[in-house]
Amino acid sequence: MKNISIKKLAFLAIIFLYSLLSLADDASKGLEIAILADKNTEGFIDSQSSMEMQLTNRKGNVVTREMKSKRLEVAGDGDKSLIVFESPRDVKGVAILSFSHKNSSDDQWLYLPALKRIKRIASKNKSGPFLGSEYTFEDLSSQEVEKFSYRFLRDEDLNGQPNHIIERIPLDPYSGYTKQIVWIDTQNYLIQKVEYYDRKSFHLKTGTFSGYKKYLDKIWQASRMEIINHQNKKKTVLIFKDIAFKTGLSDKDFSQNSLKRSR
Amino acid sequence: MEPLRLNKSVKAYIFLILVAFSTTTYGEIELLGELSIEIRNFQNEGLFGQKKGHSSYTFSPELYFESEGGKDFFSIKPKFREDAEDNERNLEDLQELQWTHVGENYETKIGIRKDFWGVTETAHRVDIINQTDAVESFDGEDKLGQPMINLSLERDWGVLDLYALIGSRERTYAGKNGRLRMPFIVDTHNPIYESSEEENKIDFAIRWNHYYGDLELAISHFSGNTREPLLIPAQDGNSIKLLPRYDIIDQTGLEALYIIEGWALKLETITRSGQGDRFTALTTGFEYTQTGIFETTLDLGWIIELNHDDREEHSPHAIGTRFSFNDIDDSQLLLGVLWNESTGETNVFIEGSKRIGARSKLSIEGFVFNGGKKVKGNNFDFNKANPLDFLQEEDFLRMELTIFL
Repeated sequence: MKNISIKKLAFLAIIFLYSLLSLADDASKGLEIAILADKNTEGFIDSQSSMEMQLTNRKGNVVTREMKSKRLEVAGDGDKSLIVFESPRDVKGVAILSFSHKNSSDDQWLYLPALKRIKRIASKNKSGPFLGSEYTFEDLSSQEVEKFSYRFLRDEDLNGQPNHIIERIPLDPYSGYTKQIVWIDTQNYLIQKVEYYDRKSFHLKTGTFSGYKKYLDKIWQASRMEIINHQNKKKTVLIFKDIAFKTGLSDKDFSQNSLKRSR
Repeated sequence: MEPLRLNKSVKAYIFLILVAFSTTTYGEIELLGELSIEIRNFQNEGLFGQKKGHSSYTFSPELYFESEGGKDFFSIKPKFREDAEDNERNLEDLQELQWTHVGENYETKIGIRKDFWGVTETAHRVDIINQTDAVESFDGEDKLGQPMINLSLERDWGVLDLYALIGSRERTYAGKNGRLRMPFIVDTHNPIYESSEEENKIDFAIRWNHYYGDLELAISHFSGNTREPLLIPAQDGNSIKLLPRYDIIDQTGLEALYIIEGWALKLETITRSGQGDRFTALTTGFEYTQTGIFETTLDLGWIIELNHDDREEHSPHAIGTRFSFNDIDDSQLLLGVLWNESTGETNVFIEGSKRIGARSKLSIEGFVFNGGKKVKGNNFDFNKANPLDFLQEEDFLRMELTIFL
């Protein structure tokens, strides 16, 4: 009896160690896939685009918002970005400047044109809706690899294409999510779909990415993003237009003075 | 309507900007405008028989263009307001007539414009570039255009703004039939200036601001005609009127804001000389936002601000809650109380707004003034009065519809 239990114990220990190893293995495989996916946006230098946001309520009524966006790649740190609202008219000229950081919380400033006021805002409040849409600021901000921990789940076809499925867990305690499940195609390593799980681990939203195009021979950019909220049945579509890379932007275009000029 | 009074230096200056306008080749051109209709309903008739219902409209077109190279920006934005009851609330103002030039590491902004300094929400101690259009709203956030030459240097050590302010503007005050008004009429047509150059005096200001991680800092100094005149009683026939006196002041200001977790800790303080004894005043407090309250998309923002002013025995403190509904119409509601612990005066206010369609917005604002002693007619002793005594009949609700053109 004693022998058997020792054998059993040894067997269990091996299983346990093996699962630990495979967990570590899943983690490194997940990270590897995330790094490959991130390579698709690396070296973009700077970009500009117009964005159209279509908000659909549960009755199917659609309203449209327009904005302009500028981004600048920062060596060794997160991107700088400037979003300026164009419509609806009451928020025209309102702008958000953010400096994303790999290992600390982002710096964010809001410009209110009616008061000519720049207001520093707490970026911890990023889990709230962005402009009444189903996106949060967190969803739209720079998705640095360092901001998550990863786990490889499985391979699966999506729309007839083979995909890696990984789980990523936000490291920021102020994230609105406990985890995200990400579909990344095995051919070009482009994010195809993200399932967002809220703070109670409820599957709150699903986002899809489409219309990928290659720029500068290496940068892949989706031209259409869509997110569906399963709780309130609302949908937001984000369409990117006039996408341009390497437009000659510099730090100067992301300064306090340029924020005051943005429109 | 009062004709727009422009002094000589301002006229020369407008000419200069128009020359700059006419010698540029343009890229983007935009023509915009805002039309607002405002109705104010007071609970009671005024102390001087002013009506319960007041209405006005404001029209503000805007022309904006930038040069082809994206280095020069021009904007022209007049503002017109006409009030059905109070002539003194009528306004013709140039909010903007300016030319911004962007150079390497610097910007010049020449013309009439607005610039805001400060970090706090309920009181603005440091903000001094523009004169307050005090009759537009009770919160003092509406400003008049200021002619200036501004050089802004943006370097590793922050932003340094140098201002030459070409003349100054006079504060607006309600007239005889207007509300809210003082127990005595402020005679805005006969201001007193310490400077012999009066409103043509050229004033100077400087401000440095920078941020270090989560800390924002600014230090500023202003030297020139005060934006906050003292009101001097003067005989007016059998009655008394008040004359605004613009002294030459020197004011140094400090602004600090620190972000820690979801909190924004704020401080604004000034020291001013030139109006009697040197005094200091400060506002400090915090803003904290809770997102997604009650498992909805509702954000709750908390604002608490404490005030101190050497000129007052006790200053009111402010507490407010901002409800941001994060809906498609961007609905907002702010409930607040200004409370003076020594006099027991409280001033409860509500502010709300909601977008209607893509091109208009509805705003409401309500004020209730409590705890002051009711004033009867002209039986008013300035020395004994508490600040809210003359506002006891002035509880009001204001509605404004703004259409964006």
